[in-house]
Amino acid sequence: MTAGDSTPTPLSRHILTLADTKRLLGIRYSDWILGSPSIETGIAASSMAQDEWGHARLLYAMLKKQGFDPFEVEHTRPAGRYYSAPALDRPFGDWADFTAAVVVVDGALAVALESFAAGSFALARTRVPKMLAEEEYHRRFGTAWFARLAEAGGDARARLNESALAMLPSTLAWLLPGDDVYDGLAAEGRVWEAARVRERCEDRLAATLARAGITLADVDPARDGWDADRRRGPGAPGEEAVERARGDRNRDLFVE
Amino acid sequence: MVHASGGRDRWSAPLREAPEDKRGALREALGEVLDPELPISLVELGLVYGVDFAGGTARVDLTFTATACPCMDFIKQDVRDRIGSEPWVDKVEINEVWDPPWTTARISEAGRRKLGRLGVGA
Repeated sequence: MTAGDSTPTPLSRHILTLADTKRLLGIRYSDWILGSPSIETGIAASSMAQDEWGHARLLYAMLKKQGFDPFEVEHTRPAGRYYSAPALDRPFGDWADFTAAVVVVDGALAVALESFAAGSFALARTRVPKMLAEEEYHRRFGTAWFARLAEAGGDARARLNESALAMLPSTLAWLLPGDDVYDGLAAEGRVWEAARVRERCEDRLAATLARAGITLADVDPARDGWDADRRRGPGAPGEEAVERARGDRNRDLFVE
Repeated sequence: MVHASGGRDRWSAPLREAPEDKRGALREALGEVLDPELPISLVELGLVYGVDFAGGTARVDLTFTATACPCMDFIKQDVRDRIGSEPWVDKVEINEVWDPPWTTARISEAGRRKLGRLGVGA
C-alpha cells in the first residue's frame, strides 16, 4: 500500500503530516548551507537540515506498522500527495524567511511532536523524545536570530515581520486543522486536544514573535481552500523540491 | 561493497567454544567495536542498551547519538560482523531503540577518560 493510491487512516495521515513537513523543512534549510550570513550559520543550517531528515526517516518508518511501505511513501509520491506545511511550498527568499521558518514552522512542528509524544501511540512515545531533544537546538538558534533581526530594526525587522506574518496563518491551520479527523485522534488519546495545542503554541512562540511586533493571538488560521485529504491548505510543494525529497536523480545510483 | 571501519584490526579472535555467559561474551565483543568517528567503543559511548542471546540468535538493542547519524549503517554492519564472527552465534538481530534518548551522560567513565586524552570534552 502506498500513500498515493489509498486512503490513509487518521493516524497515518497525521504521521505523513509530520514526516512530509520535516522532509521539506530539511530541504529548505539545506538551501542556505552556503549563502547564509556567515559560515557558522551555514553550519547550523546544515546541522538542522540533517536533523530534519533524520526525524523524517524515523517518522516514515512508523508507517510500516500502519500497512504502508515506507520506501514507496518516501520515494514515489507526486508533489500533490504531500502533506507538508504550505509555508514550505516555495524556497526561502532570504535569511529573514529562514529565521521566520525556524521559529514559526519548526516551532509549530515541535509543538505537534510534543503532542504526539504525549499520546498513546507507542512508537511516538519512544522515538519522538529524541527528536525533541535535538529540536531544542533549533529553538535556541531560531529564538536568538529572530531577536537579532528584530532588534536590528529597519529593513531587517520589517522583512522578518513580513516573513513571519506570511507563514503564520497557513502554519496555524496546518497545526490546528479544526476538523473531525484531528478531533478524532485527540479523542483516541493519540494527540493533545486542539485547545492544549494552541496554548502550547502560545507558550512557545508568542514571546519570540512579539519581538517583531507580532501578536500571535491576533493571527487566525487560514482555512480557505482547505484540503481535507491532505490536511493542509491549497497548493503543493514545488516539483524541484519533491524530486530532491524523493531522490529521483540518484535512484539508479543507490548501489550496495 | 566491503566496509572496513577503523579498529577492526584490533578485534580479538572468535572464541573456540561457546562461553557459559553468552550475554557477557557478547558485551565484551561489542566492547571491541569502535564508533566510526570517535575511537571509543559503542559500549563506552553508551549506545548499547541491551544484549540478549536465545536459540543461537544474538539480539542487540542499539541506539545512536543522533537521529540523522550518518554512521548508522557502518555501526550496524560492524556489530553484525563482530558478533557474527563467533561460531556459536547463528544470527544477529539489531533492534534500533530511541528510548531513553541518548545524551552524553550515557558515556562511561572509561569512555570519558579516553575522549579526554584526545582533547574531546564530554
